[in-house]
Amino acid sequence: MIKFITTISDKLHKTFGTKKMLRPFYALFDAVDTFILTPSTTTTRGCHIRDAVDMKRIMITVMAALLPALLFGLWNIGYQHFISLSQDAGFWKEFWYGFLKWLPMVLITYISGLTVEIIFAQRRGHQVAEGFFVTGMIIPMIMPPDIPLWILALATIFAVVFAKEAFGGTGYNFMNPALVARAFIFFAYPSKISGDSVWIAEKADAFSGATPLANAAAGNFDSLPSITDMVIGNIPGCIGETSKIAILLGAILLIYTQVASWRIIISTIAGGIAAGLCFNISGISAIPAYQHILMGGFLFGAVFMATDPVTSPHTKNGKLIYGFLIGVIAIIIRVLNKGYPEGMMLAILLMNVFTPLIDYISIQLNIRNRQHIRILKNEKLQQ
Amino acid sequence: MQSEIYKIKKGIQLNLIGEAQKAVKLMPATPCAINPPDFRWLVPKLIVDEGDCVKVGTPLFCNKNDESIRIVSPVSGTVCKIVRGEKRKLEHIVITSDGKSTCEDITIKEDNREDIIETLLVSGLWTFILQRPFAAIANPADMPKAVFVSCFDSAPLAPDYSFILKDKAKEFAKGIEIISKLTIGKTFLCLKADSDNSIFEDIATVEKCYFSGPHPSGNIGTQIHTIAPLGKGEVIWYANPQDIATIGNLFLNGKLDFSKTIAVCGESIENPCYLKLINGASLSPTLTKTTKGYKLNNTDEPTFDTVIKDTYTRIISGNILTGKAITDECFLRYYDNQVTLIPEGGKRELFGWLMPGINKWSLSHTYLSWLFKHKKYSLDTSLHGGRRSMVVSDVYEKVFPFSILPIELLKACEIKDIELMEELGIYEVVEEDFATCELVCPSKTECQQIIYEGLSLLRK
Repeated sequence: MIKFITTISDKLHKTFGTKKMLRPFYALFDAVDTFILTPSTTTTRGCHIRDAVDMKRIMITVMAALLPALLFGLWNIGYQHFISLSQDAGFWKEFWYGFLKWLPMVLITYISGLTVEIIFAQRRGHQVAEGFFVTGMIIPMIMPPDIPLWILALATIFAVVFAKEAFGGTGYNFMNPALVARAFIFFAYPSKISGDSVWIAEKADAFSGATPLANAAAGNFDSLPSITDMVIGNIPGCIGETSKIAILLGAILLIYTQVASWRIIISTIAGGIAAGLCFNISGISAIPAYQHILMGGFLFGAVFMATDPVTSPHTKNGKLIYGFLIGVIAIIIRVLNKGYPEGMMLAILLMNVFTPLIDYISIQLNIRNRQHIRILKNEKLQQ
Repeated sequence: MQSEIYKIKKGIQLNLIGEAQKAVKLMPATPCAINPPDFRWLVPKLIVDEGDCVKVGTPLFCNKNDESIRIVSPVSGTVCKIVRGEKRKLEHIVITSDGKSTCEDITIKEDNREDIIETLLVSGLWTFILQRPFAAIANPADMPKAVFVSCFDSAPLAPDYSFILKDKAKEFAKGIEIISKLTIGKTFLCLKADSDNSIFEDIATVEKCYFSGPHPSGNIGTQIHTIAPLGKGEVIWYANPQDIATIGNLFLNGKLDFSKTIAVCGESIENPCYLKLINGASLSPTLTKTTKGYKLNNTDEPTFDTVIKDTYTRIISGNILTGKAITDECFLRYYDNQVTLIPEGGKRELFGWLMPGINKWSLSHTYLSWLFKHKKYSLDTSLHGGRRSMVVSDVYEKVFPFSILPIELLKACEIKDIELMEELGIYEVVEEDFATCELVCPSKTECQQIIYEGLSLLRK
């Protein structure tokens, strides 16, 4: 079986490599080829053996971590829809409804994003980087279920071109592309991604579809869902963000496989709680600090978006500071700016911009520390 | 004298199949080659011609920039060919042995530092004294702030020096005495904690430091960084324990003898063991092809099929992290104490990125293999993925026991920012220190090459 596919692949490699007409599609062919079969390349210089992990494996791990939140989100779309219509449709019907809502979204995201990626890879003569597989999965998950598809496509293309490829592609971007896509819609088409009417798919007009955050921002503390509901996630919201249990399952997988940094996840949550407590003590906000973590996209952002290794600092201490500030800023925006009930997106984007500064400070500290240690050890040497 | 134990926590202990058995085979006389590219950044100026008769110790070529540094013939015989590569770059100087090992006359003086240096330079043994930064042959005009000797190698399947040197304790002690006179500072003997160090421990005049932990705890770079970090303008000299025994042999017995014992190991050798040979010897006559890869012949039956071109096995002079693939006549590289044979990879796998991967080695926990920590692995040369831009953030830090920021230093080298490279500690590292980073990098970055290019930039 493998032999058969390998021979076909070898033949196609030759065809794509030599025929002029097909050459523009080589990046696409190579992406599909290495997707099906592991590449046949061997080491040439330096280390003769290599770790079995590659970007594909890391990305597939992140996708696996996203899966619980996604599956729950799909069911929740249907569940919220039928509740707003005061119907009880049963689990499978709800799930199927959500799936049909999500499928065109994810297809549009991948098609528009990957087209841009492949064009850039082909022009640069690179292989197609795997980064977009995760970005394309995350983008629909941080959208309301009723987002118009053309806006989604536009936002995806904008994010890939201006947040990623303009800077050189995966590994060189300084802002998380998925969040840029969301920010694009947030500022260009605010009515499609904020307010009370967008979070439930095809909602009946009479039904209030406000998210817990919106209720909290408006001071309607009575209409907040119970803590249990917020943890389980059967509340209105973006597709992926509602179930905290599902997100935590993903977080456990990411930390266990060492794909995401636990420092960022923990420090973001710590920052959020710290800022929440400060607001509690000073009497500015009555929402208990822990509820902030359970509301909106805080946890989803902390686990899946803040931990993006490209746009977060490189050093251990830098990661702690970065995460903590994300948590703090997110809560500040939530509490102090009534216009933006969800502060997570802007907090992460802001800290993405500050990442080079954090790295710069870490480098300078490292240089100073090392000089200091060297002088100490040299003195010891002369004794 | 007091001794300290340093625990190296970051690194990789990689268990591979094919460790060398503790038995030494003698190798028959084969052609030897000195390969000028083994001497980093040295511009060779050829002294001999094809057809010249040479003795042990006859200079073959010297450093164009400092002609007192000479590289001498390890055997007596005839220079049979001088192989040049691209742009007429000298590749090998091949010498056929006459089996007599007649030596050049060398006057041995060891009264003071200058005499020792002169004796070493004339005998060609100076090439064994290396320096950090750059891991190049030491400059005799420098004064090192310390001398280091790492008495163990922590690389995968590395040779055990206390086994190799068990009959050479006196020579080793003499060698240490000689090279400790080369510095006004201290001489450090870096030993492996919790192992048999009886040969090394008797030497009283030097500082002994014990190191424990995974590779690269045995690398000289790690040890220098832990004990005496290098700054700009500082120099530390170091040498391999076997080469120190060779130096000791000259000063103790007046013999110039370039033989050494290497470990022949790896999955693709049927009978991994130690092999005693002349430095630079051609290995191909002692290897016979088998189904598993190769087999070491018995001492007195060399094969005559002496050119190896094999697409299924990779023969590496050195270890799998830093060594270099050798083909054709398989000449041992000058500074290597190990030859590793591993299978070539490149087999394509269906949906490899999706499989559980119980037999795949990975530092990350993305494959299930991490559940079996003490398993011995059979690893081939597959790259396991495509090259990508650097995406990782904390993988390097887990395997890099320096207080240097690895990613920042690599990026500084890539953008050729010399000032930043110096500040970030380029003088403390050479390629081999980044080998563990390169091994685990999910983006398949060629860290060692980047560092080499950075160092070359500074060397100019």
